[in-house]
Amino acid sequence: MALLEIKDVTSGYGDVQILWGSTLSLEKGKLTSLVGGNGVGKTTLLRTIMGLLPPWSGTITFDGRDVSRLPAYTKAEMGLVLVPEGRQLFTDMTVLENLEMGATSQRARPHFARNLERVYEMFPRLKERSAQKAGTLSGGEQQMLAVARGIMADPIVLIIDELSLGLAPVLVLQLFDSLKLLREEGITLLLVEQNVQLALAISDYGFVLAEGKVELEGPARKLIQDKHIRAAYLGL
Amino acid sequence: MQQFSLLLTSLPDGILLGFVYGLAAMGLTLIWGVMNVINLSHGPIIALGMFGTFFLFMRAGVNPYVGLIPIAVVGVLLGVLIYVIAVHRVINAPHLSSLLATFSVNMIIIGLGTAALTTSPYNVDFSAGSFKIGPVTLLGTRLIAALVTMLFTGGLYLFLYRTRPGKFIRAVANNRAAAELMGVPSTRILALSFGLGTMLAMVSGALIATFFPFSILAGGSYELKSFVIGVLGGLGNPIGALFGGLILGVIEGIIPAFLETSWVPVIEFALFVLILLVRPSGLFGAKK
Ligand SMILES: Nc1ncnc2c1ncn2[C@@H]1O[C@H](COP(=O)(O)OP(=O)(O)OP(=O)(O)O)[C@@H](O)[C@H]1O
Ligand SMILES: [Mg+2]
Repeated sequence: MALLEIKDVTSGYGDVQILWGSTLSLEKGKLTSLVGGNGVGKTTLLRTIMGLLPPWSGTITFDGRDVSRLPAYTKAEMGLVLVPEGRQLFTDMTVLENLEMGATSQRARPHFARNLERVYEMFPRLKERSAQKAGTLSGGEQQMLAVARGIMADPIVLIIDELSLGLAPVLVLQLFDSLKLLREEGITLLLVEQNVQLALAISDYGFVLAEGKVELEGPARKLIQDKHIRAAYLGL
Repeated sequence: MQQFSLLLTSLPDGILLGFVYGLAAMGLTLIWGVMNVINLSHGPIIALGMFGTFFLFMRAGVNPYVGLIPIAVVGVLLGVLIYVIAVHRVINAPHLSSLLATFSVNMIIIGLGTAALTTSPYNVDFSAGSFKIGPVTLLGTRLIAALVTMLFTGGLYLFLYRTRPGKFIRAVANNRAAAELMGVPSTRILALSFGLGTMLAMVSGALIATFFPFSILAGGSYELKSFVIGVLGGLGNPIGALFGGLILGVIEGIIPAFLETSWVPVIEFALFVLILLVRPSGLFGAKK
């Protein structure tokens, strides 16, 4: 059984429907990608999964439990963690305080010291800047902090929205490497990416979202060779 | 020379008053800083604090400074109640909605207060003596009120920066959705923040009651001062509020030596407009 199952979910903003019955699932311990053009509803889907937006219909099941209607703040406690689009850091708080906030949940608190060591090892830059206000970090450092804050939550499922956006290629590769590391540790990952090529290259499985619906899915290796995908998203 | 001796009494007096103005403004500015709501029920809440002292001291004989404890507790609870009933439903609506909501609370408190207490003045007959330092005489009540304000300011600072719920408040103020994603129940944190802001307003009122006679309408002028201070110190900055209060206190201490006291509000609001024009984020910077 899949760890996270999204079934026929519809949602939107006000009267505007964005998701038209999205269905996807994440296998435990796997790295899954969700790709699709701009404005097709990827971020909206993630916000709905997390409970920041209520689903209009459909169900979201996490670890066998229906979590469709649970408020966002209960998700971190269950180990369902989102690194949101646009980083959404606590810009007025220090780097260390942001990491502390990441470990808000009861499940993460006992592992605070271990996780802090882990993220400082992954991103030594953050350790150097631990007393600096998050808002004064460079764009790349902010993205590191956003990911690190997510790891501090001790996630079972870590969802990352636009990891590579606006970052230098070297840093993108470094961040993707850290994702592989997380997968080795047994964390289930869902990656939403503009960089379709790179995302599918490290993923186990992929979903393609178009117009608020999953248009295509399959093992990442297969998708990367799919004619339609190569034409539409890879420009090949 | 005569002006100088006038200044010797009015300036220290003004400065000590400034502390309490700062405390009142801290309540307003905390709520604004966390949830971007201008609390138009700030004035009547200050007046409720005044009546708190009146009833506890004049009717039950409780020392006004001991009385601050139950008043603070009631302040937190009242603030949470106001948040839940009136503010929460409009928290994501445009500013006008929350202005109207808190204005309604303002009208309700004033209406009930007028019915129960009339608008004639009440007086708390309490003295904590006075202290002479050279040519300057300080009233005990004002001195203690300034100390209490420092205590509350320090306490608020430690709470916001050193405790878990305090950090939650700062996180929610900074980015509510992100805080929610980290597991912070943001609605509860907003209610707590409104409770703390209300508590600060009520405590300031409770202290002011030991200085001047008051009625249920007396909070209005302190509400206006809180706005001026908020702009001086930077809305959303509790420490700035204390400095803003002191600046206002100094102004109120200097003016009477040179001009009629009726000039005080004119000069305060001229300052208000001036700062909005040249430095809208306040002298000490604001969070946004
Ligand atoms: N808060 C909002 N209110 C109204 N409409 C919104 C809101 N947020 C997003 N939308 C609309 O919903 C649609 C889907 O947006 P969404 O952010 O989910 O797309 P996306 O797939 O994440 O795109 P991108 O790859 O550019 O991040 C867009 O047309 C967008 O304009
Ligand atoms: Mg998006």
